[in-house]
Amino acid sequence: MWKYSEELMDHFTNPRNNGKLENPDGHSEVGSPQCGDAMMLDIEVDDNDVITDIMFQTFGCAGAIASASALTELAKGRTLTEAVKIRNSEIVKLLGGMPAEKYHCSVMGHEALTAAVENFKENREKVLALLKAVIADQFSGQGIKIVKVHPARIQIETDVKNAGPIIAEALKEELGEDVYVTAVNQ
Amino acid sequence: MIYLDNNATTKIAPEVVEAMKPFNHELYGNPSSFHTFGDRIFEHIEEAREKVASLLGCRAEEIVFTSGGTESDNTVLFGVSEMNPSRSGIVTTSIEHPAVLDTAEYLSKHGHPLGIVGVDNNGVLITEELETLVDKYTGIVSVMMANNETGVIQPVKEACAIAHAGGALFHTDAVQAVAKIPFSISEMDIDFLSLSSHKLHGPKGVGVLFIRKGIKLPAFIHGGHQENGYRAGTYNVAGIVGLGKAAELAGEFLNEEVVNTKKLLRKLEKGILDSCPGSSVLSADVKRLPNTATIIFAGCESEAILTLLDMKDIYVSSGSACSTGSTSPSYVLSAMGIDDFRANTAIRFSLSRNTTNEEIDKVLVELPLIIEKLRNISPYAQ
Repeated sequence: MWKYSEELMDHFTNPRNNGKLENPDGHSEVGSPQCGDAMMLDIEVDDNDVITDIMFQTFGCAGAIASASALTELAKGRTLTEAVKIRNSEIVKLLGGMPAEKYHCSVMGHEALTAAVENFKENREKVLALLKAVIADQFSGQGIKIVKVHPARIQIETDVKNAGPIIAEALKEELGEDVYVTAVNQ
Repeated sequence: MIYLDNNATTKIAPEVVEAMKPFNHELYGNPSSFHTFGDRIFEHIEEAREKVASLLGCRAEEIVFTSGGTESDNTVLFGVSEMNPSRSGIVTTSIEHPAVLDTAEYLSKHGHPLGIVGVDNNGVLITEELETLVDKYTGIVSVMMANNETGVIQPVKEACAIAHAGGALFHTDAVQAVAKIPFSISEMDIDFLSLSSHKLHGPKGVGVLFIRKGIKLPAFIHGGHQENGYRAGTYNVAGIVGLGKAAELAGEFLNEEVVNTKKLLRKLEKGILDSCPGSSVLSADVKRLPNTATIIFAGCESEAILTLLDMKDIYVSSGSACSTGSTSPSYVLSAMGIDDFRANTAIRFSLSRNTTNEEIDKVLVELPLIIEKLRNISPYAQ
């Protein structure tokens, strides 16, 4: 049996933020069950790029499960930029140390988080690109200013009547999902 | 504590401890000494030899005491590779214990031809493959009597016949089979057999190599005339006496043990299948040792299961190991064509005559909770 710390065993037996998010803003799957270690991660991100919620699922040993749990605790409340900078050493420290042979387990958490953040950014880019296309197609690129874009919601400034609902409908048609549109007068 | 890892080692029987005691105290003489003090000790060695021979169904003079199963396996493979330079090849199976496989691979690196026979999806050696691999260079065929991980009993008699038909000698590593299934060497045609004392409630550090009468096997350990020159080194007197007692007890318990253990194993298997979603018993439809079940828990990594069982003082094992780099699945399960994902979820339960009904009940209470917990954490449980 590995010499695990009390903190690690606590994270293993009572994992924090374990499960799935209903509508994640970013999602990742890393590792492979063939290798004995695999992880899925969901993040919820607010308009200021802060991770407001995070959930994980892990197939792996005690070290892998505890590392994933620790990572979610460290990531919650951080901005995306800060979160991807979380080092393995921070995870290991939070877990009160870890056998050297198990360090690779903590690496997977970092990979998963980086991938989920990438996925969030891709989702956001996709919505932005679609939004630009809709504005160009349906409004001849006129009278609408993009204020904020998030994979699940956008904010625009416009005086064009019904611009919000028209954009929302067009985006839903393209994405197959609701994107919440907030339109404020210019 | 609930100990269900009896294929790793067994609890030494109290009678065995008692039998050994004098030889760690007042009966310290060297059995090889000329004086009567030594002679008296030697008599106990011979008595132990008789007991082991009686359990195995062979002659006492065919028993050579070694330091354990690993040494017995090494002695045979190294010895045969030297006996006849034109027939120094080894044919063995992909699921042998490392004591055979690693030794065979070592010898193959030193110029002795090696053939490795595969197993089918149930973990049973493919005899047709063995037939094609035994050729005029084969000196020995080595097939385990039962596999340590799956408990699957191998067709040793058929394999032995194939070896002999091809002009090769035959060895069986019976470390897991002795005292778990009844057999007698007198009804078999085998040339060598390895046995380990601590797998049958005897002490560690002692084992046996059966060498059929008439075969002149070169020594593996040199430096003395003990064991008729087959194995040098001062006798591990207490160990050998302990093994003798353990063999005697094994003979007494054998039939009862098989029936009782089998009943408890069935109960454990059924209980797990009924209460743990995603579970399945490996090699369920072929002949297995009455004490061994390897169970797949789909979606739950085996080391995580081991760790949680350990917290409940329940001790089992898995063939895979998660260490530096990644998890390496059991080579035995891989040889059976089980993909790594499933192999990494396997747990081995191995019972003994000491296992009780209450212990199985307790496992059947704790294990489903553990599996449920890990399935909730896992992305692959649904």
